[in-house]
Amino acid sequence: MLGKRLLPWDYGVRNLFRRPTRSALTFGGLTIVVLLVLVVVGFIRGLEKSLTATGSPDVVLVYSLSSAADIENSSIPGRTAALLSASVDGIRRTHGVECTSPELYLGTRVATASLEQPGMGVVRGVTTSAPLVRDRVQLVEGSWPESGQVMVGRLAHSKLGASEKDLVVGQQVEFDGKTWTISGRFTAAGSAFESEIWAPLADLQTTLKRQDLSLVAAKMDSPDRVADVDIFCRERVDLELKAVAESAYYASLQKHYKPVRMLGWVVVALVAGSGVFAGLNTMYGAVAGRIRELATLQAIGYRRRAILLTLVQEATLLACAGALAACVIGLLLVDGLAVRFTMGAFMLRVDSVGIAVACGVAALLGVAGALPPAAKAMRLPVVEAIKAI
Amino acid sequence: MSLVDVLNVTKEYANGDETIRPLDGVSLSIHEGDYVSLMGASGSGKSTLLNLIAGIDQVASGEIVVAGTDITKLSRGKLADWRAAHIGYVFQTHNLIPVLTAYENVELPLLLLPMSAAERRKRVEIALEAVDLTPRASHYPRQMSGGQEQRVGIARAIVASPTIIVADEPTGSLDDETTEQILSLLSRVNDELGMTLLMVTHDADAGARARRQVRLERGRLMENGKETKATTLRTA
Ligand SMILES: Nc1ncnc2c1ncn2[C@@H]1O[C@H](COP(=O)(O)OP(=O)(O)OP(=O)(O)O)[C@@H](O)[C@H]1O
Ligand SMILES: [Mg+2]
Repeated sequence: MLGKRLLPWDYGVRNLFRRPTRSALTFGGLTIVVLLVLVVVGFIRGLEKSLTATGSPDVVLVYSLSSAADIENSSIPGRTAALLSASVDGIRRTHGVECTSPELYLGTRVATASLEQPGMGVVRGVTTSAPLVRDRVQLVEGSWPESGQVMVGRLAHSKLGASEKDLVVGQQVEFDGKTWTISGRFTAAGSAFESEIWAPLADLQTTLKRQDLSLVAAKMDSPDRVADVDIFCRERVDLELKAVAESAYYASLQKHYKPVRMLGWVVVALVAGSGVFAGLNTMYGAVAGRIRELATLQAIGYRRRAILLTLVQEATLLACAGALAACVIGLLLVDGLAVRFTMGAFMLRVDSVGIAVACGVAALLGVAGALPPAAKAMRLPVVEAIKAI
Repeated sequence: MSLVDVLNVTKEYANGDETIRPLDGVSLSIHEGDYVSLMGASGSGKSTLLNLIAGIDQVASGEIVVAGTDITKLSRGKLADWRAAHIGYVFQTHNLIPVLTAYENVELPLLLLPMSAAERRKRVEIALEAVDLTPRASHYPRQMSGGQEQRVGIARAIVASPTIIVADEPTGSLDDETTEQILSLLSRVNDELGMTLLMVTHDADAGARARRQVRLERGRLMENGKETKATTLRTA
């Protein structure tokens, strides 16, 4: 019944072509607005993903009590891994091998073939047991690094500010006074590891003339067993160790970036707000020139609700066309764009959330842009409006 | 029985301190098949009366009963539905929708009524045939002359077979030849299709084409030198 009393769909569509230039300009404006929204949401989503994807709840990080929250400053004895294995129950074993990964973790300047200035990189010294603990790390090209070699995450070049071809297998990089050959590249499901460079632990220790570790990561049988490690660290005060679930560690980093994310959402709101004005401007123009026509429709017997709906349809169609264009541009150009960031690099994500937000913004632009001008036109008595020129 | 009864209708506008009362207790009955022309000086209230009967304006007091319904008591939404079923409005300037073709403009009132698509098509074709514009069905208003546009406007007014067709100076913005065309078309609508018409005009010749002529003078409605009365007096 409702459908019978509505204006034809074509009426709303053709009205968009009445002032082609104005519609095209609004379309362009709305596309940019939605694209901006997509970029900001993509930024927020990429940041969130890189942080949440990094932490596993069943992995525990053991590092020094004195390092505050920053693992880079941590120094623990080289025997900590063995000590943990001997003292704590519940560490997972895979094929008879205990899943503990002693690691050295540091930020350092890394020089590549084409970089004029070495870029700030993150280097992690690991043993072959690292993949047992960091099970999302996957070698996609080349091989595990031997002595004098490193493997690079797929976003390591972004973190360094270097070009991608500087870090292909076979290329050389230099850090801490030693030249390293790239033996392989790895991915890690969007986590922060992807912006790191991994070197053999022993090699890195020799180069740095260090014998200590930054941390030991251990994979537990279940997330509950993380507490056991914590208790061990608290009981052995003499070791000055601290245990944190990896997921909790990165969650605390995420808290750290909360203001950035808040700012992102504020930008989304502001940009969307400015889009509403573009929509309003167009629809005020579209309605102002059509007062008599809208009154004629009422005289014929169309209810005000039907006329309101056709105006909202018109504006929403335009906004949705803009959103569609923005999503296409976004998927082609923005998605996967790497962004450098203090703690690593991550990729902008145009995912379902981004697209949903973009479409939501577009719908909002359409409705919010059409309602006030439509309501204004509907307030005018039909007898007066019918005389309007 | 009469089709339209205007009963003691008053309409007034507040204009600063003074009140303008273009209609001051006006009564009129229009019967089925009538063709009534409504004349009077400019500003005498012709359009006001026509718009009240068409259900797009509100009375200050009085009743307007069309086909048994007192339309002054209807809510705004119900009144819109009522107009769709009962009123065919011919405007001074055709008021066609520029983005719709002649065919689509004529179809517009039918979309509000319960009927099949086939029935709708048949009716639009008959209406376009009646105004002799079948070959122009797919033309947009801007592709037609003023007279043709007005004929599409008439087709749109008759297509739903409304209870009454109201026309406010339908020839007001046309040249003599086109005026003649439109007037004879309206006469045919009355004669051949048997539809009831109320036409406002300031042109005495045009007014003379109607079966009945009424005049508005200082808020009163006159026919043949006497004040008009409603034939049906409702006891409510
Ligand atoms: N919205 C309004 N506010 C105030 N006065 C109005 C309004 N609409 C009409 N009037 C007054 O009511 C009177 C009747 O107006 P109406 O339009 O019915 O005249 P008319 O007989 O149709 O005149 P014309 O031949 O010029 O079309 C006029 O004096 C006009 O000024
Ligand atoms: Mg008038």
